[in-house]
Amino acid sequence: MSIADRIRRNPLYSLKMHAAAIATGLRYLFAKPRMTVRYPEYVIDLGRNYRGMIRLHKDKCISCSLCAQVCPASAMKMYKLPGEKKMYPGINYQRCIFCGFCVDICPVNALEHTPVHDIAEEDMEGMIYLPLPGRFDREWKSPAEEEGGRKVKVEFDEEEGLKHEPE
Amino acid sequence: MTSQGSRSSETDMGYGPGTIKEPGFRYRPMGRDAEGMELYEIFIGPQHPASGHMRIVVRLDGDIIVNADPDIGYVHRTMEKLSETREYLKSIPLFERATIIDSANITWPYVRAVEQMLGVEAPLRAKYLRTLLAEINRISSHLYGFGLTGIFINHSTMYMWSFGDREIWVQLAEELTGARLTHTYIIPGGVRRDLPQGFKEKALKAIRYMERRLEDYMKIFVYNPVTVARFREVGVLTKNDASRLGIVGPNLRASGVHYDARIAEKYGAYPELDFEIPVMEEGDSLARLLVRIEEIKQSMRIIKQVLDKMPQGPFFADKYMRLIPPALRKHVAETGRIKLPGAFIRLKPPAGEAVARGEMGHGEVFYHIVSTGDTKPYRVRIITPAFRNVVLFRHLTRGARFMDLPVIYGSIDYFPPEGDR
Ligand code: SF4
Ligand code: SF4
Repeated sequence: MSIADRIRRNPLYSLKMHAAAIATGLRYLFAKPRMTVRYPEYVIDLGRNYRGMIRLHKDKCISCSLCAQVCPASAMKMYKLPGEKKMYPGINYQRCIFCGFCVDICPVNALEHTPVHDIAEEDMEGMIYLPLPGRFDREWKSPAEEEGGRKVKVEFDEEEGLKHEPE
Repeated sequence: MTSQGSRSSETDMGYGPGTIKEPGFRYRPMGRDAEGMELYEIFIGPQHPASGHMRIVVRLDGDIIVNADPDIGYVHRTMEKLSETREYLKSIPLFERATIIDSANITWPYVRAVEQMLGVEAPLRAKYLRTLLAEINRISSHLYGFGLTGIFINHSTMYMWSFGDREIWVQLAEELTGARLTHTYIIPGGVRRDLPQGFKEKALKAIRYMERRLEDYMKIFVYNPVTVARFREVGVLTKNDASRLGIVGPNLRASGVHYDARIAEKYGAYPELDFEIPVMEEGDSLARLLVRIEEIKQSMRIIKQVLDKMPQGPFFADKYMRLIPPALRKHVAETGRIKLPGAFIRLKPPAGEAVARGEMGHGEVFYHIVSTGDTKPYRVRIITPAFRNVVLFRHLTRGARFMDLPVIYGSIDYFPPEGDR
């Protein structure tokens, strides 16, 4: 007979399984909160592999426009700014889906992902990053970290699943 | 609609399957059956408390469901049509949004179909890496379904636990691909990133943790007498009906049919791996839960083997690697990250057709691509597992008690955005 049928037919066995369920719950009652990270006091270090905000190295860019062509969300576009001879890409974070195709296709590695994603803008225009100094070429830092949040590293753990250890 | 006419005709007809006319959405009660009992109509949704948006129109006789009609389409995003307007590569991030919780599995057959047309094959290492991500996704998809099933019957512990534990698999996927859910990892010719350093140790820790947690799941939820009372012999799908209705995935296998696209289609690294397809005979809601638990175990078994057997070699087809300059090829070898050739934007399969299927967490997904030799497909047909399983809402609920509806809904793991595409 399957366990389920035993539970249904045998009241004693059912009682035992009730007790097992409650005991399992109780065991975790006093375990410390496991996976919650108290952002912004603590900020997860997303690591080098993370596909976060994108940064342009304008000095490397050869204006080939491949990044704009591959973008599936039409977030990346080429701009010719006043005073510039060549076109450079700009990114619209209203549209970007962080697929990273633009980074992967850039033949001179002028685009890179940064491990930062917790950025908010005050208005819609602010989400468009033109190839201007301090905009698309800016070195991203998590605002929570800038205001004193401590970085925590995600670690796999056999007992707790994920642990977040301050660096 | 004026209610009077339709109401009297319903009165005569009783309430067998298909005999209730569309009553117009203005009134409930709907009429009386032969014994003078009133039928009621209840609308559940479309704003949905747990999964995506859909509506179920339930007709009740007292506590017994006479008919339940799934009303789908609230999250329809015209994916098939949209894909006709974009290049082959750009449809990958689009399709993964159909089942964002299982994005590797839903895009893999699409990529395979495109590869067939282009005449390229992914190198062996890429196939292993694809399998790795697909199984990580399958586990998180099942955990997601488990959490929703839990909260459907107000077992918030199960909900919290499985969503918390799913985070581990999401984290693993993130370390491999760089993104938590929308990995866009599998592309024609291979994958986008090589296995990162130290991944194996992390995955093995995650597996050992999960194995222990599954035992806890069994105690607190699956073999909790409360769950057993509500799931056992509820929403029974017979083997015959399962194959007649074209049900797929764990729902099919919980009804005793041994079918899995991973075995049938022999794609990826699956033919080289040793794993089982869990099958149960009962076909009830509990069997569907148990099959998913077993599948999580099998997926972990696959992940272990994949990490052990991972062959050395390139992770991207030579045909495309040759198109990028040597300096970039060196960059790829050093960083383990792909560099796409410019020609990749406008992949141009010759005129023709291709089909491919694959096994997602929810069941079998099927793609049919028609190319006219252009850079954009003429037509992409996607048949998702959720779409094939939605008929179960009607089939399994007839004659069940009203409070069995959340149990049945949870157990068939229906995912509206996937069904609607
Ligand atoms: S990450 Fe993707 S969506 Fe964003 S700009 Fe690059 S290509 Fe476009
Ligand atoms: S792909 Fe790279 S080099 Fe070409 S325009 Fe974009 S950023 Fe510049």
